[in-house]
Amino acid sequence: MSEIVLKTIVGTIVLALFGIIFGLLYKGIDRKLSAHMQARVGPPIRQPFRDVMKLFTKENVIPRHAIPWIFNLAPLAGLVATISILLYIPIGGFEPILSGSGDLILILYLLIVPSLAMVVGGFASGSPYATVGAQREMVTMIAYEFPLAIIIVSIAWKLNQLGNVDVFALSTITANPVWNTASGPLGIIGFAILLIVLVIVTPGELSKIPFDAPEAETEIAGGLLVEYSGRNLAMFYLTDGVKTVIMASLIVVLFFPYNLSNILGITGVYTTYALDLIFYLLKVFLVILFSVTLIRVGVARLKIDQIVYTYWIPLTLLSLVGLVFIMWDGFVTVP
Amino acid sequence: MFSIDTGSGFWNPILWVLVIIIAFLMMYILRSLGRKDYRKTTEQIKPFLSGNPELEKDKMHVRGSNLYWGFRESLKGFYNVLLKLHSGNTSDYILWFVVIMAIFFIIIGVI
Amino acid sequence: MTSIEYIIDHSPALIIAIPLLGAFLTPLVSRLGSRIRNVFVIIVAMLTAFLVFLLASDVFSDGIRTYIFGSQDLTTPVVRILFEVDGISIFMAIISVLLSLLAAIYSWSFMKKYDGLDKYYTLLLLMTAGMLGMELTGDMFNFFVFLEITSISSCALIAFWTHKGEAVEAGFKYIVVSAVGALFVLFAVALLYGQYNALNIATLANTIQYSFLDKIAFVLLITALGMKAGLVPMHMWLPDSYSQAPSSVTLILVGATQASLYGVFRMCFTLYGGVFADGILSSMTVGWFIVVLALVTILIGVTMAIIQTDFKRLIAYAAVAELGYMFLGIGVGLTAMGTSYGKTALDGGVFHILNDALDVGLLFLVAGSIYYATKERDLDRMGGLARNMRYTSMFFIIGLLAVAGMPPMNGFASKLLIYESTYQLSPILSIIAILSSILLLAVFVKVFHSVFMGPELPRFRDVQEVPRSMLLAMGIIALIIIVIGLIPGIVVENIVQPAANSLVNHLDYISHVISIGGV
Repeated sequence: MSEIVLKTIVGTIVLALFGIIFGLLYKGIDRKLSAHMQARVGPPIRQPFRDVMKLFTKENVIPRHAIPWIFNLAPLAGLVATISILLYIPIGGFEPILSGSGDLILILYLLIVPSLAMVVGGFASGSPYATVGAQREMVTMIAYEFPLAIIIVSIAWKLNQLGNVDVFALSTITANPVWNTASGPLGIIGFAILLIVLVIVTPGELSKIPFDAPEAETEIAGGLLVEYSGRNLAMFYLTDGVKTVIMASLIVVLFFPYNLSNILGITGVYTTYALDLIFYLLKVFLVILFSVTLIRVGVARLKIDQIVYTYWIPLTLLSLVGLVFIMWDGFVTVP
Repeated sequence: MFSIDTGSGFWNPILWVLVIIIAFLMMYILRSLGRKDYRKTTEQIKPFLSGNPELEKDKMHVRGSNLYWGFRESLKGFYNVLLKLHSGNTSDYILWFVVIMAIFFIIIGVI
Repeated sequence: MTSIEYIIDHSPALIIAIPLLGAFLTPLVSRLGSRIRNVFVIIVAMLTAFLVFLLASDVFSDGIRTYIFGSQDLTTPVVRILFEVDGISIFMAIISVLLSLLAAIYSWSFMKKYDGLDKYYTLLLLMTAGMLGMELTGDMFNFFVFLEITSISSCALIAFWTHKGEAVEAGFKYIVVSAVGALFVLFAVALLYGQYNALNIATLANTIQYSFLDKIAFVLLITALGMKAGLVPMHMWLPDSYSQAPSSVTLILVGATQASLYGVFRMCFTLYGGVFADGILSSMTVGWFIVVLALVTILIGVTMAIIQTDFKRLIAYAAVAELGYMFLGIGVGLTAMGTSYGKTALDGGVFHILNDALDVGLLFLVAGSIYYATKERDLDRMGGLARNMRYTSMFFIIGLLAVAGMPPMNGFASKLLIYESTYQLSPILSIIAILSSILLLAVFVKVFHSVFMGPELPRFRDVQEVPRSMLLAMGIIALIIIVIGLIPGIVVENIVQPAANSLVNHLDYISHVISIGGV
């Protein structure tokens, strides 16, 4: 019992530092790459670290119409909840620290908390721009939950069909990669469709273009973060970085949980750890490249009712088609 | 003992609360590295309205029914039908009761 | 036999008798003064709650307990009424008595300025007695009688503010719906009595053959009790009556609606349990029908809730959606009878009854507090109240997180059970349930902004925090919500699973009456 408590405490500290440092690092890489895609030079990779440092030296203004205790508490609560998700995901190919105490549904709900904290913070700012941005964020959340729920339940359902127990637990999902569970071409196509839908859901979760109507700088002057400054804004900035790492890790864990050491057959404790960690970081980088950077520089921003339409009609139907393919997987086989 | 196991997943709230407490302490310490002061009596605390004048408070507050416009707009057809069905007529309430009873009769009788 | 055992032996009768007696004594006591009357009502409610908890500790450890009103010799055909208390009965009774105790505490300050309070408290105690009677009885006609008692006293309480036209209209709609429902229940009871010459649920369950008249009775019972429980599309009376009643009455109305839900359980699983077990009627047809209606309930509940502008109407539609979750649990439990995931779904549905009563109850009490402080119920006319009403806004945040099913509140635990069992029947069920959870969160965040956030409006500058008894009632509920959220395993193992088990083991229910010689 006390072993779990000790593991939890140490794990939290280590993973919090890991999440923040790598979150900011990936943010920097993302800005550099998108700048090169737009034929600019872009900031150096350690720019986000400098941004956070600078935000900490700015004044922390609380507007007149805000509710102070909620205004100050929301960014902190968002960051804390986001860090707690890290303990349930297999980072770097290792077992999650709290692997027997939380599953995929918990992660799904905890992913709501950072956006919810931004929404509550926006509402608590007392400014009309912030209110409009906050309700847009809430509507975006409603929109992307539908395809996300379909993806998660489909994967769990398929694993359950094959007789596994505890199918929502991440340790079971990483032990049975989804491409191996598909017994025919329909299954593979179904899972590929779900992967594409998840890649399009990710910018919605992270409030990046084309789904960043809540933070539209050009329309509503910064949206729900308009009244935030100083250390509160730094908390939100860090939350965004950590959440990027988490979403990318989720895609890696659900669809590409392969460990390099298993493939290459390498043994030896520290070599496997180091190799797995590096391979994992590489996979996360590739996912961020495709789902955040490429999409961000390629398309324009959607209107809020277009966002709801996009997620609820085409993407939901697409993921339902994927679910149907997975359900019919056993009936069509390659001759 | 403190966790529930559903056969397809599990949840242990006590460990999660422990994580939250530790992360909260860490982030609180991190946050207190920043500045906490601001000039309270100057123009800083007025809301940012891109230079537009601030009207009286009743007109500045965004009311509840304006929220979620995007959601309501994109599901307009659905809501038209739904609101028409909720007519408020007591005889409509009993009508729905009879309809469900009839459907249930058919299901039990035929299947 | 010690005195405690003696009390437990007679507690089923005492649990009904004490509130009934209290109800009839309240007009007399109120002649002595309003404060004495309030204290009297709270003492009666606390005494009933104490007896219910005592009985609960006995039933959860020892099993079913029966109580006979009338001739003790069960073989002679003399008219008697049998109370049979099993796990699910006492579970619902705990919820009902807790809700009425909290309503009594809340009403102390909330209703202080209104007239006719002696009638109010009488009806409140009468409603408590009716709900408890519905849940503890083992006799069909007695169930109908208590159903009528609950309906009539609730109707009077809904229309309590007779100076407002909409309250009287809501009371009228409620009594029409209740009367139709209760009459169809009576018709079904008459059909069963005519065939088998017995009114006792256990006896009927033992001797029922699935004849043509039994089919008609089944449909009538499920549909009528489903309408009283708020199944879509027969739910439209629910927002009207929940929103026009005073908030403490709405709290008990939640309990009354759930007592009708208990009636659906009892009819499906116990009375017709043998029919399902023997395979004469496949439980899949009825189960799928209830599952489809439950899905529609969830969706229509949340989509109507998002666009409301009246505070209590919005919470009432959210309550309809939560009822959909409970029906989903029952439906999957019926359809998948015998499998382990069906049992888990039933656990989740039953657990959700407890959680939903607490969560939605807390939200209604907050709505009542806002009405008490500002006399407003329209969301478009409120704003900025978090500055003046700090405790109320904190309780609202707890209620919001609990209703949306966010960890670590109790809503997450029961919704986890429901999601992770219903997906095995069909993935679509879990998907719609998860989606509606987010929609519920959106609904209440909208309310949070409209009521509590924003600049300080000059109209509300003098608004103060609500009096202590209202804060006490809300605080007790919030505390229970957090405690259940932190130790869900203990609650599920010791309280929910015995209740769900007693539903599935209908033979246990029957044999308990037959073994003591009943016919």
